[in-house]
Amino acid sequence: MTELGGGEMVKQNKLMSMREAIEEFVKDGDTVYIGGFIRQDAFSAVHEIIRQGKKDLTISSAVGVLFPDMLAGAGCMKKVITAYGSNPMPRPAHAFKRALEEGMPRKVEIEDHSVLSLSLAYFAGALDLPFIGCQTIMGSGMQAGDPSAESRFKIIESPFDGRKVCLVPPIKHDVGILQVQRADSSGNGQSWGVMGDTVYGINSCKKVILCVEEVVDKDLIRSDPNRTVIPGIKVNAVVEEPWGCHPFFMPGYYDIDWDYLVYYEQATRTKQGFEEYLNRWVYGVKDRKQYMKLVGEEIMQKLAVGKRMSGSVNYGRYNPWEVYLA
Amino acid sequence: MNQTATSIEYMVVAASREIADGNLLMVGTQWPMLAAMLAKRTHAPDCVMAFEGGIIYDQLPSRTPLLTVDPCYLSNALFCGGTLDTMGALLHGGRVDLAFIPAANVDRYGNVNTTYRFDDSGRPIRMSGGSGGACDFASLASKLIIMMEHDKRRFQEKLEYITSPGYLDGYDSRLKAGLRPGTGPWAMYTTLGRFKFDSKTKEMYLDGFFQGVTVEQVKENTGWDLKVSPTVEEIAPPTAEDIRILREVIDPLGMWSDNLRIKWRTQPTQA
Repeated sequence: MTELGGGEMVKQNKLMSMREAIEEFVKDGDTVYIGGFIRQDAFSAVHEIIRQGKKDLTISSAVGVLFPDMLAGAGCMKKVITAYGSNPMPRPAHAFKRALEEGMPRKVEIEDHSVLSLSLAYFAGALDLPFIGCQTIMGSGMQAGDPSAESRFKIIESPFDGRKVCLVPPIKHDVGILQVQRADSSGNGQSWGVMGDTVYGINSCKKVILCVEEVVDKDLIRSDPNRTVIPGIKVNAVVEEPWGCHPFFMPGYYDIDWDYLVYYEQATRTKQGFEEYLNRWVYGVKDRKQYMKLVGEEIMQKLAVGKRMSGSVNYGRYNPWEVYLA
Repeated sequence: MNQTATSIEYMVVAASREIADGNLLMVGTQWPMLAAMLAKRTHAPDCVMAFEGGIIYDQLPSRTPLLTVDPCYLSNALFCGGTLDTMGALLHGGRVDLAFIPAANVDRYGNVNTTYRFDDSGRPIRMSGGSGGACDFASLASKLIIMMEHDKRRFQEKLEYITSPGYLDGYDSRLKAGLRPGTGPWAMYTTLGRFKFDSKTKEMYLDGFFQGVTVEQVKENTGWDLKVSPTVEEIAPPTAEDIRILREVIDPLGMWSDNLRIKWRTQPTQA
């Protein structure tokens, strides 16, 4: 996983820019996990992948909202592994459809899963299991629809009780990209909100780019370790990228930009329209700061969420043995 | 207020009556969310909703949710975990009473397609997002409720692709495929009526129709020779209170029921 020992991985300062992180850790042909489950999809990272012209990527994500569309339209992606690929307004994802149906600008293959089968495949990948068993997906087109599906899922009778069980092979990733609320500079990342497949997915990645709304002090992380969803020991790069999930949302920071989802659908109906979109919002800016200038202060204020703080918990201070031995 | 219910309201209200107080529900997007929220505000105040992303929720959200992970569900949720908590430990674990999914196409055995149609040359055309969690709901729930706007093109004798398995080819084919005994479609609600499944053949039949709808009208709008229950009946219409709650409390802007989510701003501000 890394040349560094565990001790170094939890202490090392891994802060870098999005450009540096994508340059260093995403290689042409990689299988890339994008975590978030609609809420925290790392759109800033996706745009940087497009700007750097990465090629032949396999993109894996339980719920692929719009970023498979962007990557397909930009020609960065050869395959997508997902349970869902669309614009959830609900509106069509035009570039994704053009790639799947017309091979434009390049052919994209899709590996269809259900949310549960894909979460289990990630879980199996994280644990380095040869497969994991489940009783969903049997009889569906994903399991029985075509020859490639039948090589993906295998149905056997359980050697223990004879019940039929569907075996799902593990899915592992070269690199995973996830955006969370906060982390320290070593990538001990904390998140709250719907986790979906995120923890299983990110644990099945050899390398991890962790994007955060805020970099915080390690002491703040240590004060509430239950909120840490990814330990720094697994993280290779930490990118401080406020608003990195726009047009989707970050719990406690900003809401979904519903207008932008409509705008995107309308703007990308044709191949030319899609290219104009990229020229304006991706190639036309050098980083997320410039992108958010295009979004504009007024919209950012509208999307910013108010405060509703959680209660706090007592982790306790524990008596030294002397107290009990006295 | 005009208290004549729309056909969508007939569907949502009738489906919500499947929910008993205290039920644990897995709720898909679109009409299922409205049905569950209505039940919570009427006859089943203690029903609990679980969603594919990992939320367990027993309140009415602060705005009409447009997604099963809509951030409004984060306020006052009971539990916020991951997919293996709800889809795994609850649904796969056999703890769910009812699961609701919307459908694009359905066939006579309650199989659902929301993924592909095929053009004349056999080339697959992507219809919508794909399974999401729907295949898992259909595979594992002891009682699956399917909700769909009634349209002849959506009722197909044989589907081109099965996203979410119903009774497959009927009889015991669902069991032979390996799916668990005691699972599968329980009922389907459309904008015309209620459909159930024969206990032996597993074929869908018309069980009830809404006020102002005729059996002939349902048969004409179904893509095969639909069987009709000898006890087919008119379904009790929505009450004035059902309509008021749907229109004033659950979806006051018509995000779902008036399709405002689709009509949303024809001239977007970003253009």
